[in-house]
Amino acid sequence: MSYVAEGYNSFETKKTPSGIVRYLPDPKSVIALIQSGKLKEHILLVQGGTTTFLAPALSMGAIGVITMSGAPESHLGILSREFQMPCVMTAYLTGSESRYLTGANNDAHFAAIIKALDGKKVQLHCEDRETGRVAVLS
Amino acid sequence: MSTYKDRYKSADNGLRFQDLVYQGNFKGMDPVPDGILGDKVLRQRAKSKVLEKVSKEDVLRDQFTVDELNDLNNYLAWNIWDVLVMRATEGVSGMIPRQEYEILAFMHEFYRWPEILEMTTNEVGAQGIVDIGASARREIGTKVNCVHDWCIGAVGFGMGRCGLLALEAIQPQDYVRESNIILKFMQRVLWGKRQDGYILNSQDRYRCKIHEKDILDKLIGQVEYFEPASDKHDTLVRFNAAAELLSFLDHYDCRLGLGDTGPYELPDGKIMIIRDLFTNEEVYDWSDVCDHENVPHCYTICLVIDPSKMGLDEIRVNDISTTFTRPKNYIEHIVGGAVLVREKWNTPMGEVYPLKISELDKRLEGIQQATFKLYTKFSRMSRRTLITNGMYVYYIDMILPHLRLAGTYEKACKDYEFWEIDQRVSNYYYDIVKRGFAQATVPQKIFSGEGYLPFPDNVSLTRSKYYWK
Repeated sequence: MSYVAEGYNSFETKKTPSGIVRYLPDPKSVIALIQSGKLKEHILLVQGGTTTFLAPALSMGAIGVITMSGAPESHLGILSREFQMPCVMTAYLTGSESRYLTGANNDAHFAAIIKALDGKKVQLHCEDRETGRVAVLS
Repeated sequence: MSTYKDRYKSADNGLRFQDLVYQGNFKGMDPVPDGILGDKVLRQRAKSKVLEKVSKEDVLRDQFTVDELNDLNNYLAWNIWDVLVMRATEGVSGMIPRQEYEILAFMHEFYRWPEILEMTTNEVGAQGIVDIGASARREIGTKVNCVHDWCIGAVGFGMGRCGLLALEAIQPQDYVRESNIILKFMQRVLWGKRQDGYILNSQDRYRCKIHEKDILDKLIGQVEYFEPASDKHDTLVRFNAAAELLSFLDHYDCRLGLGDTGPYELPDGKIMIIRDLFTNEEVYDWSDVCDHENVPHCYTICLVIDPSKMGLDEIRVNDISTTFTRPKNYIEHIVGGAVLVREKWNTPMGEVYPLKISELDKRLEGIQQATFKLYTKFSRMSRRTLITNGMYVYYIDMILPHLRLAGTYEKACKDYEFWEIDQRVSNYYYDIVKRGFAQATVPQKIFSGEGYLPFPDNVSLTRSKYYWK
């Protein structure tokens, strides 16, 4: 299987959730997704590795998350483990040299990942101790 | 097979949880790794004995030496890096401007806490502060816990001084007297809590086994056992996660809502983590949504883990009250659990009551509703309001439990204007967003360790700050 993106694995799990990637840019989009009743159809793509931004989505049963920053020690990393919800963190595109840099301007890096993943049907693979992977299904 | 007990052998250096290394003030020396080995290196490099087991007499003494202050400064700087450097990669929240509120709070604490902590020490005495720490040995659902106690020194002194040095508002020789007050308060609380001579979990190979045996026995008696993939397991895990999430949210995405102790080894070889989840802090006005959903001050969750089935290699209950393991996923190896409720922060321990796992789903609904309402409330707040509220969470909550138990919280509010924001810090609000100060400069100073400049060797221990330029 070829992987379009990979990053830190929040925790080891045999779960392989799949769904359409939905980029969530702001709290309104999080609330709208929950109110649509389609939360569980999506793998959520978010910029930060903090918990609060995704709080209601986690609480209501999100199936998988891809972040563009953060690590398993981040609050979202901790909470994804507690919810047993697979989470690939600080994801980068395997076909690109671009990487997230703490404290730098990462706008172009984020934009490239959003363009590559948003709207795609993907599956998360998080069995490895260190690396979580994202495969495109269609 | 589990090897985690090997970590407790004196010759063992522990596992590395990260590839990064720490330099700090140790320029020209080998960098320091994370974990048990990092603790050993720091202690070898200390000039004083303050990082070894200390006596009650040491703790009750009012004054650290300059070497002791610098050793604590170096150790806390490494410890902060050890527990937070990877978290620092998490970037912006998209919801709560945490880096901004954090840096304001650090500096505010360094300015304002010394006076309030000194007043509290004067009110109850040095032994009284030790006793406040010791109270945690017989309670659950208490915020006198690792993260709060650590924050007094690591955040109020360490990061606060570091931020002000980075802002060039102070110099290394400033505020020696005030630094001593903060660090003495921290040392006394932590020493009283642990009572083994150490103050930090990292000094004890990341263990925080503080509860007295009779308290532990009562908790163990409440544990319901189950199969790992059973409905009971899933119900407990779901509840734990949702309550933990709300506790993070109520505390503005910060770890003050969470408090782990342990690991406690049970007679059959399993281990137990005791986790306090502070889901409703009454001191915050936004917690009204938690009141509306009848969410209590704290859910305490006992998690029994099977280390053999997990193949546990290392478990760290770190100094910010968070448990990390290798392998990482301990959740699927939870084989038993108990949940207890403390309705208010001052509910007597005799009135703390247990819940059956079968009762949790009803409670879960209230947690989910409170989470959604709180999120909706935050999403309508201005950036300025979010930063101000977050600043209060750090500045107030980190010493709130100690002031409450000392009986000095009301006095701090009334006579010391605890809830006012110092004018200097109000002005810094405009400075921290310039040139990436909050987003880049301060995190770099804090997490590289470069910003924790030592006190000069010959500085006067009574020196405060006498002029501004």
